[in-house]
Amino acid sequence: MFNSKFMQSSRTQALMLIGPALAVYATFAIWPMIEVVFLSFQEWNGLAPNREWVGLENYRYILTNDPVFWLALRNTITWTILAVIFPPSIGLLLALGLNERLFGRVPMRAIYYLPVIIAPIAVATMWRWMYDPFFGLFNQVLTSLGLQSLISDWLGDREIALYSMFVAYTWQYVGFSMVLFLAGLQSVDRSLVEAARIDGANRWQVFRHVTLPALRVTLAIVLVLSTISSLKAFDIVYGMTGGGPAQSTQMLALWAFMQSMQIFDFGRGSAISVILLLVTLTIVVPYLRWSQRDEGAAE
Amino acid sequence: MTTVAPRIQEETLQIKPRRDPFLIILWIVLVTFALVWIAPVVLIAFTALKSNAEIMATSAFTPPEAIAWNNFSGAWSRGNFETTFRNSAIITVIKVPLGLMFSAMAAYALARIRLRFGKLLLLFFLFGAMIPFQVMLAPIFTLVNGFGLIDTYPGVILPYLAFGVPYQVFILHGFFKAVPKELSEAALIDGASHVTVFRRIFLPISLPVLAALLILDFVSTWNEFAMALVLLQDRHMWTLPLGLMSFQGQFSTDYGQLNAAIAMTVFPAVLVYMIFQRYFVSGLTSGAVKG
Repeated sequence: MFNSKFMQSSRTQALMLIGPALAVYATFAIWPMIEVVFLSFQEWNGLAPNREWVGLENYRYILTNDPVFWLALRNTITWTILAVIFPPSIGLLLALGLNERLFGRVPMRAIYYLPVIIAPIAVATMWRWMYDPFFGLFNQVLTSLGLQSLISDWLGDREIALYSMFVAYTWQYVGFSMVLFLAGLQSVDRSLVEAARIDGANRWQVFRHVTLPALRVTLAIVLVLSTISSLKAFDIVYGMTGGGPAQSTQMLALWAFMQSMQIFDFGRGSAISVILLLVTLTIVVPYLRWSQRDEGAAE
Repeated sequence: MTTVAPRIQEETLQIKPRRDPFLIILWIVLVTFALVWIAPVVLIAFTALKSNAEIMATSAFTPPEAIAWNNFSGAWSRGNFETTFRNSAIITVIKVPLGLMFSAMAAYALARIRLRFGKLLLLFFLFGAMIPFQVMLAPIFTLVNGFGLIDTYPGVILPYLAFGVPYQVFILHGFFKAVPKELSEAALIDGASHVTVFRRIFLPISLPVLAALLILDFVSTWNEFAMALVLLQDRHMWTLPLGLMSFQGQFSTDYGQLNAAIAMTVFPAVLVYMIFQRYFVSGLTSGAVKG
């Protein structure tokens, strides 16, 4: 169908069209990912002309001599589990509710989505102020409700700081899950829902047997995106607690940054990055394979 | 919010005359929840407009009596907003259109030109959409430093492009793939080049998707913090989020100005979202969420 000259020219055109995106992506996204692996086997302060190859020493150090690493790992795992459960389930409930024809559902959708647009660092600033033990909103409201016993130092107490921070995170990201679920709900066959209702199915049965199966792909996307975005929690931690008090809210992404850019130990920082990358890959690679297989089956 | 009003009317008309008690309870729950959800934003807006004396004297959700506009001018000059605002604007205005152009070009070629490694390339791009750059701040710094681009606009725009392109390629590829063959085949047989077909046919029909991606990209570029923190160390090059962070550190007890600073940081992204929001859900659903 195509003669060779046409093929050649269309190949040149394809290269021209793909070229800019590919070049910038390979240089500034893929190369750092390779570089971080090299760095993790070296000792380097970020400035010195020569980097010394130290093999697995950085890994040995962070796994055996760095208690903060284990704290950060535990916090990251807790955070990820919470982030996969709460924002997506609240988002799903809101999407189901706001998919009904209700008065004012468009402005309500906008309200729930609004925090997604706010810069995470601004969210951190806002919530830090609301959590202020003396002048903050939360303790003021508790006082006026007569619930003085519940007053806490929300971000200063090691036991609860991580969860206080997670509430702010949930406030910000529920709208994100909601929009994805709303988009997914548009693909639910309305006639199927009507038919089920006519056959006497109640709301729960319709949800369980019609809506939920249709949301399978959306659900997978939301869960994978929630996991990934929880692993990269950085801005909100940096802005709200800086990892404190006493490292009780430290997480891997921030700890990797601090090791490299504040303690100037690029080797150890990069080793933490590589561990976090490996965790990410164990989620991303199976998902990519699953989604590709799904696409192959659809064609 | 001007676009919202007619739609509300349209929807009220569609409500069935028979009131379903379930829907009434649902509505009450959703409205209550929405009020809680917007409360922090209202709090910020009110506090930003109160003088510090009024903040201390009144309760948090009392509307401001005398509007204290000077919080904004005060925060603007103390927080060095002129510089940070300009830097954010320059970076966003260059990065967002350029990134969308690169992505659209690549997505077209991957979706509509038969290439031996097309599928592999697509997977390669898709991979990047899943990798959090927060993990790699140190090597990004090392790389940009190697090019001598720390504290420059290109030094931050190039990595922004690199981490924005994958997701956009993925979404636009899904959209272009779904465009019927007939639309482009006739033009190609008539001898038009792919570049022409892309510009004259595919770009115009993908405007709703591009608008949705524009919102997402504008918002994430405007709000980006971690990479800017590493790549922009000179305070004359700081962007708004960096400026806000430093403002919080220095003037955290001046609540009126602090909240004015938050409001000024957030406002442009909210404005862009409101202007383009009607494209948002529709744009993302068209071919995007399929898989």
